Amino acid sequence: MPASLEQAARRGESLTLWPRVREAAVALLRQTGRDPFAVVGVTIYAAFAVIALLADVIATHDPLEIQFLASGKLAANQRPGAAFLLGTTSLGRDIFSQLVYGTRSALFVGLSAATVVASLGTLVGLVAGYFGGRIDAALMRIADIALSLPFLPFVIVLSAFLGPSIYNVIVAVALLLWPNTGRVIRSQVLSLRERAYVEAARVTGASTWRILFVHIAPNILPLSFLYGSIAIGWAILTEASVSFLGFGSSDVVSWGYMLQDAFTSQALSRGQYNWFVPPGLCIVLVVVAGFFISRGYEEVFFPKLRD
Amino acid sequence: MRQFLERVLHTLLVLWAVVTILFLMFRLMPGSPLAAYLNDNLSEEQQQLILQQFGLDRPLYEQYVIYLANLARGELGVSFFQRRPVVDILMEAFPNTIVLTLASLVVAYIFGVIAGAFLAWRRDTWIEKTAVPIVLAVRAAPEFWVGMVLLAVFGFGLGWLPSGGTNSPGAAYDSEIERFLSLDFLRHLALPMLTLAVYLQGLPLLLMRSNMLEVMHDEFVTMARMKGLSEWSIVIRHAARNALLPVLTAFTIGVGISVGGNVVVEVVFSWPGIGRLLVRAVSSLDYPLAQGAFLLIALVFITMNFIADMLYVLLDPRVSHARVA
Amino acid sequence: MSLLSISDLRVHYRAESGLTRAVDGVSFEVPEGQIVGLVGESGCGKTTVARAITGVMPQNAVIAGGRIVYRDRNLLELSRPEAKALRWREIAFIPQSAMNSLDPVYRVGAQVEEVLIARGGHDRRRAAARAVELFEMVGLDPGRLRDYPHQFSGGMRQRAAIAIALALNPKLVIADEPVTALDVIVQRQVLDTIKTLQARFQISVVLVTHDISVVAYACDQVVVMYAGQVVESGPAAAVLDRPVHPYTMGLYNAFPDMQSSAGMLVPIDGSPPDLSQPFAGCRFAPRCPFARDDCRLSGVENRPCEPGHSAACVRAAEAHQLRAAAREPATWLRS
Repeated sequence: MPASLEQAARRGESLTLWPRVREAAVALLRQTGRDPFAVVGVTIYAAFAVIALLADVIATHDPLEIQFLASGKLAANQRPGAAFLLGTTSLGRDIFSQLVYGTRSALFVGLSAATVVASLGTLVGLVAGYFGGRIDAALMRIADIALSLPFLPFVIVLSAFLGPSIYNVIVAVALLLWPNTGRVIRSQVLSLRERAYVEAARVTGASTWRILFVHIAPNILPLSFLYGSIAIGWAILTEASVSFLGFGSSDVVSWGYMLQDAFTSQALSRGQYNWFVPPGLCIVLVVVAGFFISRGYEEVFFPKLRD
Repeated sequence: MRQFLERVLHTLLVLWAVVTILFLMFRLMPGSPLAAYLNDNLSEEQQQLILQQFGLDRPLYEQYVIYLANLARGELGVSFFQRRPVVDILMEAFPNTIVLTLASLVVAYIFGVIAGAFLAWRRDTWIEKTAVPIVLAVRAAPEFWVGMVLLAVFGFGLGWLPSGGTNSPGAAYDSEIERFLSLDFLRHLALPMLTLAVYLQGLPLLLMRSNMLEVMHDEFVTMARMKGLSEWSIVIRHAARNALLPVLTAFTIGVGISVGGNVVVEVVFSWPGIGRLLVRAVSSLDYPLAQGAFLLIALVFITMNFIADMLYVLLDPRVSHARVA
Repeated sequence: MSLLSISDLRVHYRAESGLTRAVDGVSFEVPEGQIVGLVGESGCGKTTVARAITGVMPQNAVIAGGRIVYRDRNLLELSRPEAKALRWREIAFIPQSAMNSLDPVYRVGAQVEEVLIARGGHDRRRAAARAVELFEMVGLDPGRLRDYPHQFSGGMRQRAAIAIALALNPKLVIADEPVTALDVIVQRQVLDTIKTLQARFQISVVLVTHDISVVAYACDQVVVMYAGQVVESGPAAAVLDRPVHPYTMGLYNAFPDMQSSAGMLVPIDGSPPDLSQPFAGCRFAPRCPFARDDCRLSGVENRPCEPGHSAACVRAAEAHQLRAAAREPATWLRS
């Protein structure tokens, strides 16, 4: 991969970012294909993606609409059956449909947080690694500080102040998770910037930004994707916790919201496992899929352990 | 020594940064409790009192100086709703959190270290191949959900254990120690502790397993075999002793993470600790209490990270002697 | 009288890609009180032979045949406890990299004492006294017993490894590239220590090395291995003075003399064959400047060419002429 780039740089050929992005994605997928764990992870993601896209078709009811029985009575606390696949909540809402629509918000939170984390981390890593010196020192200090904030308490306080919204969870997660990605990308850039083809580009008079985004960035994209895939699980877990604690948005159906609803409506003491077990299992599946895809999970979650 | 001073300096810098972020967050955020406070229904007299105490009527930089000075004196103000010093409230809740955190960490790490060493020893068997994905799946489960399931099964379903709190109503004890050692307390502790341990065991287990696998390939382990040392001596004295170093560091960092990470589990089990205090203070806009709880959690987190660094230096002769050689 | 006698030893490594015949019918003797050099390029199986003698093999290694007879007992047929009883008390090991072979978290002294207590039946006090004695013996300051391995230099670690190896007065010491990681001057000092102690305690040593000059400096006997087999063996003086196998001649050209650094170094072109594939003919033939057509069809056993000296080459009878040609660098340079 670097060899072809090197040649291109020597010929002074212009490289566009997009083919390189595609190449990185393909390389990552190929790598994934060799690992049975990763195949399982990707399959889970794919399955949930399909459910999220086809939520309107799959769901049997409106997730927030209150259902009534044929007799006209409120369909509260129904057991699972033909009419309500997973039963109903204490307010008569269809649990299965909530679960299906919950996939949508879970993936939305997960993917957007992951995108922000990966882009922010990559950008900081690129700038810090390439320019070095004071910029690097300052950025890494900021990373240290962000990592020194206790994660969940910070997200709670922030989402409480910013108001209940799914976007605020994404902002909070992004603010605290980018340093992990940033650090790894930075060290990768440190070694890349010494490579011959980067040197070649520099000698041929390519601009700094061109070198950064055309010659260096494509080579670290697989890493960005990897860290992004881990952030997906984290964001979903965090959204669930925040919603569970009651700081989430109440008009968006998420798995965390379902669990909070079940918890505060005494589903536990009534033994309504059909209400609170499925959303939890869905969270486990999505998060574990991220773990499986990125086998370097521990290093990522606890980067301090490596130092 | 220089290394140590650098670490101390770095830790202090981080601490100062976190304190400052907290200050800005609580004063500048839209919807901050300050706004709610100014037009809330407290008496005029109380408003004036707290306004003066926190200097909320002065310019921002002056407020900042007062804030830092108050912190330095350990002065965290008075809770809006409990009308008691925040420090007192925190000190009541803190032992509950610490007991829960340490108990679950100790259980999780003892289990994790033994199971991790066992899986390393049994590498490439079906036990190991099924156990690792299961451990990963368990780690992926939201803690509060695990707590809910355990609560539904053992608390409500089977009725074996109490469903929340730290003590049965009406129980009285002579001292905190006596309370923590009472059977009643331990019964209340069981479920939240188990919930946290289920989540926490994953890290020491995976760490111990991968470290052991690495160390078992090291030359000194082969040499121990050649010397005809007993299997016990090889696995425990040499392999495990070396593999344990990062696990101890993880434990120390784990204390810091858990004190804040326990939040959701404390809520599920109505455990009167710092985390639940924070959640309640934030939802009721009790600004001094929320700030105090957050500060305490952050302080523990940063301190434990610092101790973890120092511990590593103490326990690994390669690091501790680096400056001698 | 041989202390150790290896005959037709075969060791295979299992891998996903198939079987590698790392040691394929190796035989040689280790006489009492002598240093036997086991020499060859990396991957020739010499380390595998050494490890087979100690009885501690990698998990994927299989002993496929042969005998390792130590004092009339076949080591390969011993029960686990019997084999364990011999370890270190009779047969000790000096590793290549003493840095990695010492446990980083214990003091060097503790590691000397460990084997004295666990395997030598010493109590703490006697072990401590013996550790001091051992350190003095190998030329280390006993004050450094309290140091950690990383505080030692490479040469000191190697000496510590020798001290640990000699702790229980073994009869046989296997030294796997004991000086490879050291610079030339330290190499000499460490080899001198090994030689002195070997003579003083009448120990037999199997010295594994890729460097034929180490053999010239330290060994009484030499066994040259190539691609899992012995190609030449005999008294060091005879083999080095009058090498018969072209591989030995080539090895001799490839290393500087430890005594004088004169002469040009000529490496042997090409690389050793893939041991997972079947062979026909002499294994060295593809790299041999003297190979004839029939060499590629059928090999030849390691057979005597003069008393005590044998070689596995069909052109053994012409050794004199081949040696003259082998001294010319041009012979080894391929076009």
